[in-house]
Amino acid sequence: VTPLQQQTLQAVVDCLIPQDEFPGAYDAGVCDYLTRLLETDLAPELEFYRAGLDAIEEETLARFGTGFARLALDNQTAILEAIDLGDVITQWPVSPTRFFNLLVTTTAEGYYSDPLQGGNRGSISWEMTGFEERSTS
Amino acid sequence: MKYYDAIIVGTGAAGGIVACVLAEAGKSVLLLERGPALSFSDVGRDHLRNQRLSIYGHNAGPDLIGNPRVFVDPSGKSRVVRPHELDYHNNAACVGGGTRVYGAQAWRFSPHDFRMGSKYGIPEGSSLADWPISYETLEPFYQRAEWELGVAGESKAIGQEAPRKRGYPLPAVPASPQTIALSKGALKLGWVTTSVPLLINTEPYQGRSACIGCKYCVGFACPTDAKNGTQNTVIPRALATGNCHLTTEAVAERIEVNERGDVIGVAYLVASEGGPCRETARSKMVIVSAGAIESARLLLNSTSTHHPTGLGNEHDQVGRNLQGHLYPRAYGLSPTEVFNGVGPGVTIATTQFNHDNPGIVGGGMLADDFIKPPIDFWYDSLPPDLPRWGIANKRFMRDNYTRVLHVRGPVQDIPDPEGRVTVDASVRDKWGLPVARLSGTTHPATVAAAEFMRDRGEEWLRASGCEKIWSSQPGLMLSGRQHQAGTCRMGNDPKVSVTDEWGRVHNHENLFVVDGSLHVTNGGFNPVLTIMALAFRSAEYIARKL
Repeated sequence: VTPLQQQTLQAVVDCLIPQDEFPGAYDAGVCDYLTRLLETDLAPELEFYRAGLDAIEEETLARFGTGFARLALDNQTAILEAIDLGDVITQWPVSPTRFFNLLVTTTAEGYYSDPLQGGNRGSISWEMTGFEERSTS
Repeated sequence: MKYYDAIIVGTGAAGGIVACVLAEAGKSVLLLERGPALSFSDVGRDHLRNQRLSIYGHNAGPDLIGNPRVFVDPSGKSRVVRPHELDYHNNAACVGGGTRVYGAQAWRFSPHDFRMGSKYGIPEGSSLADWPISYETLEPFYQRAEWELGVAGESKAIGQEAPRKRGYPLPAVPASPQTIALSKGALKLGWVTTSVPLLINTEPYQGRSACIGCKYCVGFACPTDAKNGTQNTVIPRALATGNCHLTTEAVAERIEVNERGDVIGVAYLVASEGGPCRETARSKMVIVSAGAIESARLLLNSTSTHHPTGLGNEHDQVGRNLQGHLYPRAYGLSPTEVFNGVGPGVTIATTQFNHDNPGIVGGGMLADDFIKPPIDFWYDSLPPDLPRWGIANKRFMRDNYTRVLHVRGPVQDIPDPEGRVTVDASVRDKWGLPVARLSGTTHPATVAAAEFMRDRGEEWLRASGCEKIWSSQPGLMLSGRQHQAGTCRMGNDPKVSVTDEWGRVHNHENLFVVDGSLHVTNGGFNPVLTIMALAFRSAEYIARKL
């Protein structure tokens, strides 16, 4: 994955699971999870993933004249909502809805599954949900 | 050439019990298992690769590579599927079979479940029928399974359950906040409830520890070995006799017959350095206990001059009536927290709607659910009107994971003869054997019963104080999966059944099927205790014949 793709991915996953009192997807290790997944079980989908990330950049450029990571959260969210509906204005080499669905599910997997897989750093989502006891402060 | 009194194919709920009964009766047994023995750490705690949520793989086999099946969807389109895909209808492949990683609900079928044909008549297009045996016949064997493997439960029978002659050996799992919420709802509705019986040691039993209440029952192995499968109960007993030889990673290739067409043994393949090695063993009896899909496949793959369409298949019955359960699910947002982090999580059930529902054939049990890991909850349990991403989704996970009440249950499957297992010689597994081809669906009457049960689930949650309620309803589909059953049904008429009431294949003296394949119908309950009870009954009979 190129540095730009990495940057896009980081911004996208933080839209999918944003930071609040608990960390967003990136800080919780979702990109580490995805990196590992794309080297193993999802290796056959690596090119699909890269093409999808490039397409998000193209789409953002066409709509806002800048890169995805540079946009404000509101505009990022607006773009992703359009992609989620397949409502794109550029030519996508992959199905935007299929790609977006994969992004959504794999991001949730990285955030909510077991930390041994690279994501859910410090079991933070398990504390957030209450699956494991919440530390009292 | 090795000779045994009996060769048993499969170490699951049934095979392990047959091995134990025969070995303890002094018979020599070869017990074959296609998978390995798996330790607690072999099974692990991968939230995405387990027998409950298998997005990328499994934790208890079979391997994703080299074990394909063919699935034919309702429109007739077929495709090759791998073991972790839903349409594969997988069950674990390891010592203990599905019982190594099951949730271990230990229900008896109700007396009506054994005479579905007489009770309801036969819906058009279905193969609904009575069992050749009654509940009363099976009752002593249910009791035996409960005591020899160990079941925890509430001994008083309620709803559609028959009175039991002897209570459970272990006290029921403790109540949790969700139990209290759902009991209150049931009380309002005038429904009776019971604790969910489980093959789990709530106290130390037979030298093994008690449950420590961890959050990983269904889909995983037990850290204290308090979950009772065949791998830690009857199989060790069989091996302790010295009469039972267990061979793991041994795949039965075919049941062998002599020049007269009589069964004489099993040819099987064992992995070795230089590729698969073919072994053959001879025995007086052959017992097929490989699960409803693989047992049918083995009979169908065992073709010969005398049996050109496979063993027991003269009337094209082997593999038909594949059943399992549709699972309607209802969810509600409770005003208070209902999650206390103590497993197994399943605590309360009603059997009020297993029968006698107006306009419905059958029905089913409804219960709360095992603890779901958060990613499983995210995939399974979120309301359909919740955005799938963004801050609203995260907030829901944060605020409501501990507040969602969930009830679900297995709906009595109304069998369709076209829901079936055949073999597909154009697709081979890594051993070169034709794979199972799964096609057809359950009968539409099952879907109607599932809709009815979903509504009861919603009703229960509403009465339990839930503010927001949502549900999911399975459509018309093949229902085998981990509750797979019915493919070698027992009966008195060889034209519409495969075995007699003992599991003996019609027109064979020494060939038996003993597992869920025998179920004429599959009850509105988790089927494993019935599989176990039938196994004790058949095994005693086989021991007498040897």
